[in-house]
Amino acid sequence: MFDWDLSALEESWRFLLGGVGVTLGLSALTVATSLTLGIAVGVLRCYAGAWLRVPLTFYVDSMRAIPVLVVLVWMYFAFPLLTGVSAGPFWAALAALTVHVAAYVAEIVRAGIESVRPGQIRAALALGMSQPQLVMQVVLPQALVRMLPAIGSVVSVTIKDTAIAATIAVPEFMKRAETVAGQSYQPVQVYTAALVVYFLILFPTTRLIDRIHARVAHLGRS
Amino acid sequence: MNPVIEYRAVCKNYGSFVALRDVSFSVSKGEVVCLIGPSGSGKSTLLRCTNGLEQISGGAILLDGAPLPQTRAGMRAVRQRMGMVFQNFELFPHRSVFANVMMGPLTVLRMDHAAARARAEALLDKVGLADKAASMPAALSGGQQQRVAIARALAMEPAVMLFDEPTSALDPETIGEVLSVMKRLADEGMTMIVVTHEMTFARRVADRVVVFERGGVLLEQGPPRQIFDAPLMERTRDFLSHLDWSG
Amino acid sequence: MNFEWSIIWRSREALLEGTLTTVLLSVVTMTIAIAGGMLLALMRLSRWRALSASSAAFVEFFRNLPLILVVYWAFYVLPELTGWQLDAFSTGLVALSLNVSAYNAETFRAGIMSIRKGQGEAALTLGMSEVQAMWHVVLPQAVRRVVPVLASTWISLFKDTSLVSVIGVSELAHVSLEIRAQSFRVLEMLTAMAAIYWALGYPQAKLVDWINRRYGHTE
Repeated sequence: MFDWDLSALEESWRFLLGGVGVTLGLSALTVATSLTLGIAVGVLRCYAGAWLRVPLTFYVDSMRAIPVLVVLVWMYFAFPLLTGVSAGPFWAALAALTVHVAAYVAEIVRAGIESVRPGQIRAALALGMSQPQLVMQVVLPQALVRMLPAIGSVVSVTIKDTAIAATIAVPEFMKRAETVAGQSYQPVQVYTAALVVYFLILFPTTRLIDRIHARVAHLGRS
Repeated sequence: MNPVIEYRAVCKNYGSFVALRDVSFSVSKGEVVCLIGPSGSGKSTLLRCTNGLEQISGGAILLDGAPLPQTRAGMRAVRQRMGMVFQNFELFPHRSVFANVMMGPLTVLRMDHAAARARAEALLDKVGLADKAASMPAALSGGQQQRVAIARALAMEPAVMLFDEPTSALDPETIGEVLSVMKRLADEGMTMIVVTHEMTFARRVADRVVVFERGGVLLEQGPPRQIFDAPLMERTRDFLSHLDWSG
Repeated sequence: MNFEWSIIWRSREALLEGTLTTVLLSVVTMTIAIAGGMLLALMRLSRWRALSASSAAFVEFFRNLPLILVVYWAFYVLPELTGWQLDAFSTGLVALSLNVSAYNAETFRAGIMSIRKGQGEAALTLGMSEVQAMWHVVLPQAVRRVVPVLASTWISLFKDTSLVSVIGVSELAHVSLEIRAQSFRVLEMLTAMAAIYWALGYPQAKLVDWINRRYGHTE
């Protein structure tokens, strides 16, 4: 029978908890920047001219093809060599995760926009609205509510993806768990605890988003 | 003559909602019984209870004098002797018309392929769709799909056919083709229970009409001439006169 | 700064082997996870509470964990708790299969639930058992309906195999990072790695779009 000696966790819980803080902070920042960039890309993919649509589509599809680990590692190790700009692991992670998650958001936004019935657009045009008015006042509000479950999954995908930032030594929870596991020779306890902690963060998050969506879903129907 | 199906004080509740209240009547061999009444009067529920898609809450349903079995295996055997036709056809969209009709004989009766084929061919011919055998259900009109559904049910050679509003989902112009298939079936002596809003069909084909009213109560029953021309109950008269206005 | 792109050509055999490992890992994982996901979905829809609750717990658990942590956990903890000594490839396979099975289970469950109740009833009415109705009528329709989702999951899986590099499975990411560490050709190798993933993944993403257009809108 395995001996569940929890001394490593008792000694390092403050250090680990700080990692949870970094995980949540990096996640919140990434969600904010990705939503901003992603909504912009998604809207422009639907309404901009071909000179912008084509490169944006190329960007989104490329991000669907390249693993987030590869983007992280490239952003941290290769980008500074190419540009001479070096900003430390946290900011590299924020940049890489944003580039990656924003593409995912852009896909969701595009699907949301395309799901708005053409009749709604005709009705808005019949009222004499301009194209930007139509997008901002009729299409996006409906599309955003309809996208909420998918946006919820963006939050949980982001939190999960921040764990990959451990590979470029961002001191978030995954990295700190790895450190404690290695130094204490108690990987079983530490990784199992990490499993529980991540689940306790992610499960309520997904549930909460579902709850919110159920409450506002009627606003997105047309 | 012994009844094929007998309902004895059948009750059905969903929680506090009463769908059927003390319904009793019987259906003899070769008889065509039409169940009519306003929507929500429990007619469809009674059919669904008859072949065990729903469990009754009280009373008894007897098939050839024996109460419906309580076990799954027993109910399966009973269902093989009752064909059912649904309002929405419920053809299997992933299989061809031919495969739909053969599916029962092949999977349930374990009939060999050639025999199932012969049976399906004969039945599709009977419902006038031999030329559609290779089509997928989605390529057929509603009336054609319902005729395939009738052939599929007949492929099990059932003793009784249950029709649950078979023409309610159809375009007006295809209702006639389905009703004439049903009429032919009745003329051949099939025992049939038909939930329907087609009063002309009930009047011309039924041996007996059973009238339900809201709350799942059996209001009255009798030969079509009596029900349509001289109903005993005032509420039957009301129901029929409202139909005339809407139709 | 001088770059030496020839390192990529000189490493071609190792990169090719890494690529093949990535493909193999994806294919084997998906095979296991389709069977596993189907089993979990059927358990979830079962009448037996114990089966459906344990399936729900499994699925929710693995859908709410970072895959990279599951990889570490399978590497460090699983052998301690079970006594199994697996090689890195098999360990990665276990972690990926647990993760993708959970996602596929939800996909299959949604597919089965999306089939109208009347379809199953029509099958029962013909005298089929519940197993026959599921096998001959409900599942074939559900499987068709979930093809686009499975295709997207495949793309995610293909990318996620890169995460097993952290336990030393010699797939594409690991091989590239190793060559980088030995040769110090950082920019060249990291760019090559990204380019290879892109070259493999981009057509797949386009194929998924095509599958979505082809199958996504049918009834």
